[in-house]
Amino acid sequence: MDPFFTHFKEAYGSGDGYALSMTLSPLDTQSQPDRLSSFFRSTNAASAVKDFKYRILYDNTNTFKLSQDEGNGWVDVYFAYWKVTGEILNAEAATKANEKVSWISVYEGWKELTNQLIRGYTNCEFEAWTVPCLYMVGKYLRIFAIKADEGAANGTSAVTSFQDDLNPEAEKNEKLEDAARQLNRIFQLCLSDRAPLEESRKWGIYNIINLLFKTYFKLNSISLSKNILRAIQVYKGDMPGLEAFPMAHQVTFKYYVGVIYFLEENYVESERHLTEAWQLCHKDVKRNKELILTYLIPCHLLTTHTLPTLALLSDYPRLQVLFLPLSRCIKKGDLSGFDAALIAGEEEFVKRRIYLTLERGRDIALRNLLRKVFIAGGFEEAKEANATPVRRTRVPVAEFGAAISIGSKETMDNDEVECLLANMIYKSLMKGYIARERGIVVLSKGGAFPGTGI
Amino acid sequence: MASPWAVPPPPGTQGQYAYQQTTPAYHAVQVRQTFNQLPHSYAPIVQPQAPPPPPPEASAPRKKIEWPQPVRNYVQRSFDPSNLIADIPRPEMELRLKQTISAATDSNSLHTIDWDNLPLPQEMIRQERAQNAAAWRQESVNMYVAGNNLASPMDVMSKKRKSQEMAGDEDSSPNSPWRITNSPNGFEDRVSFQPARDRFDKRQQPFQDDGAPKNSSKFQKALEKRQRRFDGGYKSSYKRSPSPEPTIGPVVGTCQTLEKKYFRLTSAPIPSQVRPEPVLRQTLDFLKKKWKKEGNYSYICDQFKSMRQDLTVQRIKNEFTVTVYEIHARIALEKGDLGEYNQCQTQLRALYALNLGGNPVEFKAYRILYFIHTCNRTALNDVLADLTKAEKQQKAIKHALDVRSSLALGNYNRFFRLYLDTPNMGAYLMDMFVVRERLAALANISKAYKPDVRLRFVTEELGFESDADAAQFIYDNNGQHLLEGREDGLRFLTGKAGPLFETAKVAAFGKVDIKGQI
Repeated sequence: MDPFFTHFKEAYGSGDGYALSMTLSPLDTQSQPDRLSSFFRSTNAASAVKDFKYRILYDNTNTFKLSQDEGNGWVDVYFAYWKVTGEILNAEAATKANEKVSWISVYEGWKELTNQLIRGYTNCEFEAWTVPCLYMVGKYLRIFAIKADEGAANGTSAVTSFQDDLNPEAEKNEKLEDAARQLNRIFQLCLSDRAPLEESRKWGIYNIINLLFKTYFKLNSISLSKNILRAIQVYKGDMPGLEAFPMAHQVTFKYYVGVIYFLEENYVESERHLTEAWQLCHKDVKRNKELILTYLIPCHLLTTHTLPTLALLSDYPRLQVLFLPLSRCIKKGDLSGFDAALIAGEEEFVKRRIYLTLERGRDIALRNLLRKVFIAGGFEEAKEANATPVRRTRVPVAEFGAAISIGSKETMDNDEVECLLANMIYKSLMKGYIARERGIVVLSKGGAFPGTGI
Repeated sequence: MASPWAVPPPPGTQGQYAYQQTTPAYHAVQVRQTFNQLPHSYAPIVQPQAPPPPPPEASAPRKKIEWPQPVRNYVQRSFDPSNLIADIPRPEMELRLKQTISAATDSNSLHTIDWDNLPLPQEMIRQERAQNAAAWRQESVNMYVAGNNLASPMDVMSKKRKSQEMAGDEDSSPNSPWRITNSPNGFEDRVSFQPARDRFDKRQQPFQDDGAPKNSSKFQKALEKRQRRFDGGYKSSYKRSPSPEPTIGPVVGTCQTLEKKYFRLTSAPIPSQVRPEPVLRQTLDFLKKKWKKEGNYSYICDQFKSMRQDLTVQRIKNEFTVTVYEIHARIALEKGDLGEYNQCQTQLRALYALNLGGNPVEFKAYRILYFIHTCNRTALNDVLADLTKAEKQQKAIKHALDVRSSLALGNYNRFFRLYLDTPNMGAYLMDMFVVRERLAALANISKAYKPDVRLRFVTEELGFESDADAAQFIYDNNGQHLLEGREDGLRFLTGKAGPLFETAKVAAFGKVDIKGQI
């Protein structure tokens, strides 16, 4: 037990919140491969509280003196931690022995630890520099909840409700939903702190928000994230600017906000947040950069009609698989190739929730194809010898139709071709109008395909 | 999903309810202070007292008794100023104390009662008052519920009976203070459950209570108390009760009547009011005939809801369940009741996952069309993730997927062709969004075609039955001036129509009715 509390004393004495949070980690460390088990065995249920009290409150070698309230608060926290350590060791032993493991009791124990910690802040005057403890507890609350739900799948659920219909989703994610509620309490705990900024728990808010986002995404209830955003909007006045928070919190937050906007089809806002995240992201965290690009690339395709360069993708083989086939087809204006690539990648696209966005890239492929038809049409016969040549701007619908039908087995009828052309015009990807009676498209002389040089 | 907000309601919004709820929670402190004892240790010991004590006047003349120490302590505690409760007059308290002790003496349980844990007389009185108040409120709630559901007086009666059954057998005097102390807060539970709208509102404003002043110590205390209630500190005494909890497991129904009015459950179901599966099967046949003959939707919907409820409380999940939900979904579709339809569809999705039969292809296709209607992109993505390759080739599903992609790509030509060739009952769903898609297509056409097109073209492209219908549609959107008669028929002046239909389109997409969406 003593090595354990040595860490506590060092961390507390030096006011190092992250070091303090490490004492609540549910993992062994490299330097202490038996950290959990030795701590758990160092005392027993009858004397744990007494032991902890002595070391936290009454040990004369301590370089700090805790108030009775705060000291007892920490004793409660470590007692809860000690109890859940036992559950974790049980679960791990069962895993090793390939027995059926239930993480539910681990989750419940961890939740109790969370409660004690929250109570420490509300009732026992825990100081704000210790908020990394909340990060640690919140992080594993989510992880243990997921493990508990996995184990409990198709078990008997004790959800009592008087609903007329069953709610299959709620039963599947019972613990994770509970974890979301607990995390939300921590969020409130940080948000509603009225202490002056220097010693405010508000500094913990973005880390907790990121945990909440993560949980909501996993629960498939992304809309709840909007409530969080609304709440911090309300408190914006009394909160430090986002840029004052640790970089890691900023990047993750911006990433999630970007993805939320992405899913709402607000690609402009999405692009803004994702770009910021991209720029601030640490250069060596490839995985995170890859995640950011997964959404930033489709965003760019729709907002600026640009495709990722090979150089950008060169570091990310997974993104190459994801985006290159489509990119090539878009560039070439190869519609049937695009359709095939979209079908081929559908499963992965759907999983990452980018399918519906990428699908709209077909417009750009079509635009590129029509542009080729326009270029292939050549120039009008010059009326005067020296006049600058003018492209042929009256193009028969049938010519576009022929191009669209390349690669597909059947020819598209003219009405549908016109419909696609009308869309191009409507979306301002092409300038001009359709003269239906004459069966031609009259394209603008100055910039028929805006932004493409002709 | 269940609300993730564990946020206590803002102070005051619950009014009296909140106060009443904290009352039992407060007593829990007393119990738990003796940390090493089981929280409910006194409950069984009190039981022998169950027969109501005879009034003290009637009892035989008392002989001098040597009072055991615990009793003395109990009396002492009762008079301890710190334990006195302001609004309970001292004489009333003394009377109750006398009654309690003489009752114990008469039943010879002076030495068996756990005096250390018995609630003080003033607490008993307060409990009693609280309970009376709660009972009174419950009554008014019943009235309210009954009124809202247009239930017959019979229903009100039966509900009341239910609530009494919940509280325990009626013989043991319902007012005995010790009973009340432990006894379920069945009433209060339900009171706080009852006004569903109230709960909903709370969820809607999860952040409100932070604004409340923190410095007021009274408020602070209340806040802490509430917080503790939420983090489970008092759970053991607040939730548990010696009387059996409402059964969580499935009920087995015994009701034999075919028809049953729908009534939203507010407590555990009663077997005698639940129909078992064989009866429900007869009910379904009966309802099918009745629907064909009378076509009274409000009646049918009500009956189907009660059937679904009976299935749920009995946890019946088989091909029959699927049939019930499918038929209700179809009827709701036909009547454009999207709320009920969506409830059925959500259940069907879970039921199909269990491979119980039914018509998954048909309903998965509806599901896609429904999400197109509600513009729910997230759900559409999930639907795509759920479909297997083989399912995507099935006619109805393929049709729905084609509808989706034609709209995503703005291909109205293809969309309206698909509209005219919709399998099963999908057209009921497509009718919901065909108007707005027509406006979108007209906005499109107005911008792309110049100077005009034949009305016939609009009719064909937008899937109208006749030119008259197309013209009517344009008229209805205030586009009278956009139609012009020529020798070769009516023409639609696209060049001038752009802004009108663009505005109409934006408006149409702005208000998608998604009532009933979970």
